[in-house]
Amino acid sequence: MQNWLWMIGLPIVAAPIIYVVGRTFRPGDGTKAGINPAMWVALLSLLATGFFTYQAWTAYIADATLETSIGMVALRADGISFLMATAILVLGSMATLYSGPYLAADEGQEKFYALLTAMIGMMIGLSCARDLFNLWIWFEGMAIASFPLVAFYRRNPAGLEAGIKYLVQSAAGSILVLVAIALVYSETGSLAYDGIVAASGRSLPMLAAGALFIVGFGVKVAMVPLHTWLPDAHSQAPSPISAMLSGVVIEAGLIALIRSLGVLQSVSNNWGVILLGFGALNMLVGNLLALRQTQVKRLLAFSSLAHIGYILLGIGVAASSYYFDDLNTGFFAGSGSFFHILTHALMKGLAFLAAGCLLYSLYISRGSHEPLTKNDLAGAARRYPLEAFGLSVAVLALGGLPPLAGFMSKWQIFVGSFMSGNPWIIGLVIFAAFNSVLSLGYYAPLVNLMYRHEPGEVVLAGKPTPWLMILPVCLLALAVVVLGFWPSLVQPLTDVAGFSLLQLFGFVR
Amino acid sequence: MTLELWNVGLVTILVLLGVGFYGLLISRNLIKMVVALQILAKGAILAMVLAAKLQGWTVIGQSMALTVIVADTIVAVIAMAMAVQIRRHCGTLDVQSLSNLRR
Repeated sequence: MQNWLWMIGLPIVAAPIIYVVGRTFRPGDGTKAGINPAMWVALLSLLATGFFTYQAWTAYIADATLETSIGMVALRADGISFLMATAILVLGSMATLYSGPYLAADEGQEKFYALLTAMIGMMIGLSCARDLFNLWIWFEGMAIASFPLVAFYRRNPAGLEAGIKYLVQSAAGSILVLVAIALVYSETGSLAYDGIVAASGRSLPMLAAGALFIVGFGVKVAMVPLHTWLPDAHSQAPSPISAMLSGVVIEAGLIALIRSLGVLQSVSNNWGVILLGFGALNMLVGNLLALRQTQVKRLLAFSSLAHIGYILLGIGVAASSYYFDDLNTGFFAGSGSFFHILTHALMKGLAFLAAGCLLYSLYISRGSHEPLTKNDLAGAARRYPLEAFGLSVAVLALGGLPPLAGFMSKWQIFVGSFMSGNPWIIGLVIFAAFNSVLSLGYYAPLVNLMYRHEPGEVVLAGKPTPWLMILPVCLLALAVVVLGFWPSLVQPLTDVAGFSLLQLFGFVR
Repeated sequence: MTLELWNVGLVTILVLLGVGFYGLLISRNLIKMVVALQILAKGAILAMVLAAKLQGWTVIGQSMALTVIVADTIVAVIAMAMAVQIRRHCGTLDVQSLSNLRR
């Protein structure tokens, strides 16, 4: 087994060990006692995975080809894989650390950590897959691990409802993907990306396969008419899982989508245009629906829809490079999108974790599963200064306020798309900028409520937040601020990812 | 239309997918929805096997079919486990009366 494969294999190997460790743990006095040691094992395995990923990265930028096949399973790490692995591992380890105190009073923690670690491994594997069936397996594995995590509160009817809704829609989507793979296979006789590109041409079954890929993976990406599971699942899951779902899982679905569309590059030139259309729809619908939400986590879930829209804008421009004079536009917009995937993972993770701190202190620690509403936030900064600061940084960055990370990545997408000089795309950029302003209409009131209102009864009756939950919030807030001032810190990552995107769609060799 | 293998296979696949989606859309009972999902999955599996057969790689088609069967069984098991919990804590399996979350 080659060394770099540990960045995929380690979390998957660690998952059963984590389960066993968590299972054998018996709290001393038989009461509900504290943090399950499975959390520390999971965190350790994620850090070790991060070490292997870093080693693979140094080999990759020294021009090594990281490619392996085990039997029929072909894997290759490229720029997109490393960008996704970074986002997944950073957010994943923060969410794991945070889950310790958050779930301390719940049963079934060993399953939680094992599934979370397995899901992380599956997502990294998905971003390295080199053939379509392999891609589907990782995708399905990720989905399977996430179903029980969404319905983790199995005595809470709302959580169960969200879980089953997510499961049914997701399973139907993945079956459409399977039919699309069968179509591609029957047309080209190959499942490997390169083989399909070489053998495919414009034909009706291939176009149908592309449409099925868009619909099937679109369920997981939450492209707009297929988004109905997202707000329920994201608002009902435990907060660290909401952060993971919103920050990396839907983006992993997006990676699967662009990989499969890139394979069909010789079938049509217009996949990018379709992505642009969905992007515009996602921005508008996400922002408008978020405006009328009263629950904080539901509001953040709808804002994920809008952010998927921004990411689709950049990727759509990169995939439409057929229509531009040079590749700079596509490269700049594409790497901007990957930068936004990274910053969105940090910002949305921070937002859900900080909101989760307040939810924990105000409701969960008192044994209630009520949702956190906007009005509960009134005056929260008085009693919970760090949590309120984290949430404020997150929502202002999501809204795109200048010195913060969200502004930098959105700016790069907008500037990159603007460079195309195409009037339609310039119109779309202006539309996106208006949407970005519109989004402040629901982000700013949250900050206002926390800082400029008197504390309500709920806040005054709240309990203190454990420090292990505040620590990830502070680290992520620091990352959002630092990336806002020094976006060049992650530029090597986003540049190779943008280059890999152009390679995927066959614009460069 | 002669009665060739791939014709029969294609019709069967379309029928299975049609029945599956129809069932998924009209049934209100959770268990029936899981059954509909399984019918859909069988259609997709048949499509994979037929595609491999047409290309002359029967063995690959069968190994893919086995993998898909395993994955779909796990999905069905998790769905059933959730259905059990829903019956216990909500007292119903009817999806219409389940939708309490706001859209």
